[in-house]
Amino acid sequence: MRLTMKFLKVARREYLERVKKKSFLVGTVLGPVLMGAMIIVPGMLFELTPESQVTMAVVDIESAIYNEFTESLQDTLDDGSSMFVFRHVRASEGEIDQVKRSLNAEIEADAIDGYLIIPGDIVSKGEAAYFGKRLGAVKTLERVERALDQAVIGKRLAGEGMDYSKVKNMIRGVKLKTMRVSKGEERKSDFEMIFITTFVFIMMLYMTILLWGVAVQRSIIEEKNNRVVEVLLSSLTSFDLMIGKILGVGAVGLTQYAIWSIFALLASFYALSTGTFAGAVSFTWVTLAYFALFYVLGFLFYASLFAGIGSVCNSDQEAQQLQTPVVMCLVFTILVPMAVIQNPDGTFATVVSLIPFFTPIVMFMRINVLMPPAWQIVLSVAILIMSIYVAGKLAAKIFHIGVLMYGKRPSVREIFKWLKRA
Amino acid sequence: MLELKSIVKRYDGLTAVDSLSLVIEPGCIYGLLGPNGAGKTTTIRMIMGIIEPDEGEIRIFGEAFSESVKERIGYLPEERGLYRRMKVLDLLVFLGEIKGIPARTASERAGRWLERVDLAGWADKTVESLSKGMQQKIQFISTVLHDPQLVILDEPFAGLDPINTQLIKDIIIEMKEKGRAVVLSTHLMDQVEKLGERICLINKGRKVLEGAIADVKMQFSKNVVTMRFSGDRAVFEGHPGIEQVRDFGRELSLTLGPDMKPNDVLRFAIDRGKVEKFEIGEMSLHDIFIAKVKEDGGEVDNEVS
Repeated sequence: MRLTMKFLKVARREYLERVKKKSFLVGTVLGPVLMGAMIIVPGMLFELTPESQVTMAVVDIESAIYNEFTESLQDTLDDGSSMFVFRHVRASEGEIDQVKRSLNAEIEADAIDGYLIIPGDIVSKGEAAYFGKRLGAVKTLERVERALDQAVIGKRLAGEGMDYSKVKNMIRGVKLKTMRVSKGEERKSDFEMIFITTFVFIMMLYMTILLWGVAVQRSIIEEKNNRVVEVLLSSLTSFDLMIGKILGVGAVGLTQYAIWSIFALLASFYALSTGTFAGAVSFTWVTLAYFALFYVLGFLFYASLFAGIGSVCNSDQEAQQLQTPVVMCLVFTILVPMAVIQNPDGTFATVVSLIPFFTPIVMFMRINVLMPPAWQIVLSVAILIMSIYVAGKLAAKIFHIGVLMYGKRPSVREIFKWLKRA
Repeated sequence: MLELKSIVKRYDGLTAVDSLSLVIEPGCIYGLLGPNGAGKTTTIRMIMGIIEPDEGEIRIFGEAFSESVKERIGYLPEERGLYRRMKVLDLLVFLGEIKGIPARTASERAGRWLERVDLAGWADKTVESLSKGMQQKIQFISTVLHDPQLVILDEPFAGLDPINTQLIKDIIIEMKEKGRAVVLSTHLMDQVEKLGERICLINKGRKVLEGAIADVKMQFSKNVVTMRFSGDRAVFEGHPGIEQVRDFGRELSLTLGPDMKPNDVLRFAIDRGKVEKFEIGEMSLHDIFIAKVKEDGGEVDNEVS
């Protein structure tokens, strides 16, 4: 396994050819847009689901709370019309079945959206029933439930001679503010914010390590297929080729990050200067430095594995089988954030963050949530670097033989034989 | 310049190259001939240090193989391959750079070579926009761009039209005249017959024979002449120096005895009638190869025989 300086030429070519491609530009611009969309759009869709007018029949046996109930549901739609249209249906206990039949028919005929049955003993029992075609309008039903709550509690309190609004004021709870103490300083802690930024960061780590790792694998398969590899190997060593490829592709990933960081920085300056999003950007230079470190190490580790896989395969389809276990390791790391964030210094988080397959993402996650002891960070990085060395060496051995093998993909047993031989 | 000392390469019990030895001198066009699967490409890959021989020694320019030796060799693999999406000039510069020449030099030389092979206008086009033949020429340029002392061409004419074949042949001859050694590996033996000086015939990883083409031919050429002759054909029957006469109707085929030279037959014939065509029957390398393999008790794959 010799390395000459020619790996730099390979890396430069790999880098330039990729950066010059239109797809790089598109990916770099669209990446953040898609990322933002992934976070914002589902929430926005939920918020934006237009609420429409609900026509509701209210069967209030004994007219227990009809007035109180309807009064507290005076919400209006965006166009100013009222959200709820009520029809008071009077019925006695005995007529209930008959009334329900006719109301069911009305629902079927779309004359009403649904009906509410308020039993006579609602104040004591606290139960009512809603019948409707569509029960998916969660927010609407929440309003109905709240209004019922309020009406029933009001009645009960009135029964005891108390005023609802006064009592409501009296039983107002205590709000607990949380402050995170980090490095002896108090910081305003916003758990959700930490969670979201951490999640965004680890998704980025996950996606870029996977994307660029597989790019190395693809590029090797492509060179095998178009037989450039033989020309290259008559000029440099297989180790030059593998290292050059990994570094070139990795540098493309770093370039993309640099561009994104510049944009993020500009955006946060803008946000700070206008005061609009002050505080929305919840990461520090330390976070960014660790991010870069773990991207580089994680990429090198996984890219070595992908390079080994690529060198023994003749097509992407073939590679898919072999790469599955590797990809699963990456996927595992994005399945554990909840466990890690809830208990960032627990045994599970500590152990997982020391396993090289998971270190890049899990250790980064821990650092973001609760700074682990320095020795753990150093140890995890040391283990990861050692693993990169070992993975790189094994990959190089496989690469050396595999890259000139066309035709049938070698079996795993054969690959082990190569490892022993080389 | 290049010396192989009984090199052996085995693949899973199969011996691809079996104690092969040969010597290649500067200023020589050397034909490495044999059918597909004879071990030519494996041999070349060992010379290029892409794979290592299991046994034996390879010395290039008098030294053992090292990475720097690669910079003095040009190699055109049989399996052609270029980066399809790169621009022609960028690609040539890259391939030159990994052979150790500076980018600027590579760029200048590439420009001159592109002109030479009539592709000057294509420098900024991507490789994939070129035709197969053009790509072949680009690949050839990449092989010689760093002005190697030893050039190894594996099936260099495959896929080229006659004009471009001639162009490449001219360049090969030029290189030879400049003292470079050129190794031509091909299964089309007739191509080397006129171009080369020395050959090594290999079959199933073993050397069948080696030597100067003229000597090989001399050694194997049977004394056969073919003649179109008007006159009394019986005169040849009685000649003591002629071992066999075969009459094909229009033409005659004479097998000469050891003391009889074709010139003697021609003189003898002219004195006795009118000679309209006279040909000295020379065996082609292809025929020699088959004859030699059979003589050694070996087999030849269908493709050749």
